[in-house]
Amino acid sequence: MKNLSQSLSLIDLIRKKILVSKINTLVTLIFAALTLWILYLLVNWAFIDAVFGANNRSLCLDPTIETGACWSVIAARWRLILFGLYPFEEQWRAAIACFVIILVAGLSTLSYFLSAKNLSLLWLGGFSLFYTLMRGGIFGLTPVKELMWGGLPLTTFIFSMVIITGMPLAVLFALLRRSELPWISRSMGLVIDTIRSLPLLAILFTFAIVLPFVLPGWLIGDKLYRVIIGFTLFFACYQAEIIRGGIQSLPGSQEEAAKALGISYWHRMSRIVLPQAFQRAMPPTVNQFVITFKETTLVSIIGFFDLLSSANAAYGTALWSFAHIEVYVFVAAIFFVFVFTLSRYGAYLENRLNVTKH
Amino acid sequence: MIKKTNVINISKMNKFYGKFQALKDIDLKVEKGGRIVICGPSGSGKSTLIRCINQLEDHQSGSINVLGTLLDDNIDNIDAIRREVGMVFQHFGLFPHLTILENCALAPMLVRKESQANANMIAMEYLERVKISEQADKFPGQLSGGQQQRAAIARALCMKPKIMLFDEPTSALDPELISEVLEVIVSLAKDGMTMVCVTHEMGFAKKIANRIIFMDNGQIIEQAEPKSFFDNPKNERTKLFLSQLM
Repeated sequence: MKNLSQSLSLIDLIRKKILVSKINTLVTLIFAALTLWILYLLVNWAFIDAVFGANNRSLCLDPTIETGACWSVIAARWRLILFGLYPFEEQWRAAIACFVIILVAGLSTLSYFLSAKNLSLLWLGGFSLFYTLMRGGIFGLTPVKELMWGGLPLTTFIFSMVIITGMPLAVLFALLRRSELPWISRSMGLVIDTIRSLPLLAILFTFAIVLPFVLPGWLIGDKLYRVIIGFTLFFACYQAEIIRGGIQSLPGSQEEAAKALGISYWHRMSRIVLPQAFQRAMPPTVNQFVITFKETTLVSIIGFFDLLSSANAAYGTALWSFAHIEVYVFVAAIFFVFVFTLSRYGAYLENRLNVTKH
Repeated sequence: MIKKTNVINISKMNKFYGKFQALKDIDLKVEKGGRIVICGPSGSGKSTLIRCINQLEDHQSGSINVLGTLLDDNIDNIDAIRREVGMVFQHFGLFPHLTILENCALAPMLVRKESQANANMIAMEYLERVKISEQADKFPGQLSGGQQQRAAIARALCMKPKIMLFDEPTSALDPELISEVLEVIVSLAKDGMTMVCVTHEMGFAKKIANRIIFMDNGQIIEQAEPKSFFDNPKNERTKLFLSQLM
């Protein structure tokens, strides 16, 4: 009986919300058919007619049979896509390093690590392990120069470095921007506005190519780290404005109440203002994370083989040039997994923080 | 006769917002254990005056001396005074991301450097005093307005202040919740707490004040003991104000 009434109400719902009038019904049917048709084509292409197996390249190219996706390219070239130019025999190191970064990112979401001290220790450990594995040169690991790093480990490394170092910088920028001393707040505002008005590409290019001409030799460092510093500055300026927005959305009474209790500036910021500002700034912050993750692909311009450019390389030979769509679908799927995880985590955090409101 | 010491001593104090003069030549002395109620029409500078006492607003001329400390540009002086002067706001100002207990224990821990256990003990003591100890683990948003204001009073008391400032503590409350908050303030007054209170509750003012101050246009127009203030106001503006209230 219960089932029957439920299904009845579902039919009711459809009738009331979707099949309201003749035109409504017609539009619904047309779009339903269209969706099904596209879905059918996609499933056919990706699974039913698809060719699998690393050695089936000739099957993909056989003109006598109708074939869908040629996943052979992924089977044959996945290590190039995932690890770029990293030496083939050492790629296990890159795989572990990449896993370390993802693991550390996952651990940072646990409430135990959500304090400045624990979080910085965790990431310091994570990055050292990553660097040791990737760079080698000790413990009998063959040295591999930063220029040879590539693929997913490089992408996750750049992304997490930018976030982890950019976040404290963004907080500092936001607080300086709100300083009561006009010359501090104005000059910070000028710096933020200047960096925000430059294209990221120009900044990366400047840090990678132009800076070595200006800096003294001992300050130049590796191109990778210069690029990360430029990227971090860019991220920090945007994120600072997001945090400032969060701070300014708080009622002034919060800071006043803390002042009236005699609580000092740093404690007011760290215990009262910033926790609430972050809570309010959570949606745009996750948004900024997502944008930053996708923008890491820009480092390909200055000669780094991040995930996207090593994917380019994977079909860039005469052997597989016909299979670029499959490669891009594969890379898109990886990006989707990362970005989707990020946004789900953001939604989870928002929910958890909202428990305190009501 | 033992001369009572003044814990607040304001003389010739002026406060400007840009060109607008919010307070004019304020002279105010509060003796230890004094219970001052400030009333007056809105915009008369009542809140501004008590916010100057703990320097949430700065003054441009004249002097403010609280507990023997002259309040000038010295940040250390201001912080020292804020530790000893508790304040209760119209809109409570509780920290929404902390529980009631954490709200109360925070300042003793950060400012008085109490251990967490000690701070929690102090917090529970004052939460019991304002009769909401059973709400200690809830967040401010889960409490009624009256409970929130009592929690805010407890939070201020946890710093063991020598002076309490109340800035319209019942103005944001539903009428039926006002009395529970006033009761708490009355019991504080009975214990001899020095307090300065801005309020529109004249019945309450009559009950607790030993002096009532009437302000208009940024000036202190009249100050008197409650009985003579209500029964025999001298200034025309005071008479007009009181007649509008009755």
